[in-house]
Amino acid sequence: MRRAETLPADRAAPGVGRVPIPGVRRIAFAAAGRRLLMASISIGFALLLWHLSVGTLFNPALVPTPEQTFSKAWRMMLTGELFMHVAVSMRRVLVGYAVGCVVGIAVGALIGRVRIVRELADPLLELIRPISPVAIVPLAMLWFGIGELSKFFVIIYATVIIVLLNTAAGVSRTPVTRIRAARCLGASEYEVFVKIILPSAVPYVLTGMRVALGFSFMGIVAAELIGASEGLGFLIMNSQMLLQTDQLFVGLLSLGVVGLVVDRIFRAVLARSMRRYMQFLGDV
Amino acid sequence: MNAGATHDRASNRRTRQWSALRFQHVGKVFADSRGGQYAATRDVNVSVRRGDFYCLLGPSGCGKSTLLGMVAGFDPPTSGEIVFVGDDAGVEWTSPIFAAGVDRSMIFQDAAEALFPWLDVEENVLFGPRLRAARARGYAGSATRYLHMVGLQDHGHKFPFELSGGMKQRVQIARALIMEPDILLMDEPFAALDAITKRLLQTEMSRIWQETGKTVLYVTHDIVEALILGTRIAVMTSGPEATIRDEIVVDLPRPRRTTDAEFVELVKILEGMLLEEVHKGRRAQGALT
Repeated sequence: MRRAETLPADRAAPGVGRVPIPGVRRIAFAAAGRRLLMASISIGFALLLWHLSVGTLFNPALVPTPEQTFSKAWRMMLTGELFMHVAVSMRRVLVGYAVGCVVGIAVGALIGRVRIVRELADPLLELIRPISPVAIVPLAMLWFGIGELSKFFVIIYATVIIVLLNTAAGVSRTPVTRIRAARCLGASEYEVFVKIILPSAVPYVLTGMRVALGFSFMGIVAAELIGASEGLGFLIMNSQMLLQTDQLFVGLLSLGVVGLVVDRIFRAVLARSMRRYMQFLGDV
Repeated sequence: MNAGATHDRASNRRTRQWSALRFQHVGKVFADSRGGQYAATRDVNVSVRRGDFYCLLGPSGCGKSTLLGMVAGFDPPTSGEIVFVGDDAGVEWTSPIFAAGVDRSMIFQDAAEALFPWLDVEENVLFGPRLRAARARGYAGSATRYLHMVGLQDHGHKFPFELSGGMKQRVQIARALIMEPDILLMDEPFAALDAITKRLLQTEMSRIWQETGKTVLYVTHDIVEALILGTRIAVMTSGPEATIRDEIVVDLPRPRRTTDAEFVELVKILEGMLLEEVHKGRRAQGALT
């Protein structure tokens, strides 16, 4: 019984679904409240530990206190410097990510649909997959210099591979029965692809897009660490060279906060717009 | 006769009234994994008359579903052919089956895979009509009548994951009927349901068949089910090289009661035939029963 409860919803017994029950909204609110409470406790506790450890466990020259970090962040916000770095990094990520998703979905759908293409592409993809976006940075610098293009290249690479693999998997795993059912209902090859195979692949595509978003953030920092004059990666690298540990911590924390916010926005948008394609899988 | 005269390509429908669906020496050979060949069925001759509720009854693995898939047009036979035949003023014509089409609607055993999970019940049922309407720039019509027919009138806006197994099969039946196909192909549609739900749906299917007068080709390994539903039952031999062993006509009045003496008598006869086939199949494979 315990084991069944930990299974994701799509593995649950067939025919068992979520039926609207009165009061379910209140339960959802209570659950959200509890999550918020727990988050506050854990973050508050971590801040307290951090505060107490500086000067006792850690050398204050290497680890700033939370107060120093937040006051530095506040000052950087007032001058607009922090926002500038965040905006530059975000722009690079979003442009590269958008291009990467479009390319990944288009090529992935082709690979998933056409068997011969899949068989030819698979070995190459298996080979490329372990090469992380970070490892691509030096090559990007060599080819495209230190300008924006090299940053886009790294992000596009980080996004394309993941989105492509997931899209291909989703497309090729569309149940044969579902395709046959559509054929019996008069669907042409094109209609089967657009109205059956693509919707069937949506959960896979979105999973890939979400993972790719995380990869993009890793990629952008790596790219900015090496050759950039603005952006969060640059901020972090620069702080290290100037021994400004408070600023370095501001950079790291900003990265965490921005990544979290973007992921939450992604999930919120996804939960709304793609709900009908995801709901049978349980929570998004 | 050539196919063009009997088949309208645009609507994918036969233009003339057919009188039977005929299997002529139909066989299917698969390539097995070791490069050899496996003959699933051989020399199957069946004639399903218009309006029949025709049951293909046979032991597991005898190629019943393969035959149904051939009628649906998923996978062509390797020998023989399946044709619609008709009669025009004494001149017989035949019209062979090509690819899958709206004139033959399949109801699959696995409803969870056959339904489109991102569409609600009504949208699933209207999937076919909407495709047609989009092409002809016309109106798709309403699903109400067909939802009523299968008892889902109050569940039109539920999604498949919210439905029980029996309700999912009701959706499939409505979705097939709304296409007004020449023939309904049903592949053990109730096999995965619990006993009570199964019996309920069999009774309803019998009623729906009476109401609509549709021709049904129904695959099952369940003797009682075949006798509740069928006007005619073809008993198949066990595979490999499965073929038709016997065909019986069932003219018991409907709704049929499983406890009637005549019904029980027919169960015994069919059970005898099936058991013999199962034993033969086991002996052929050198396995114990």
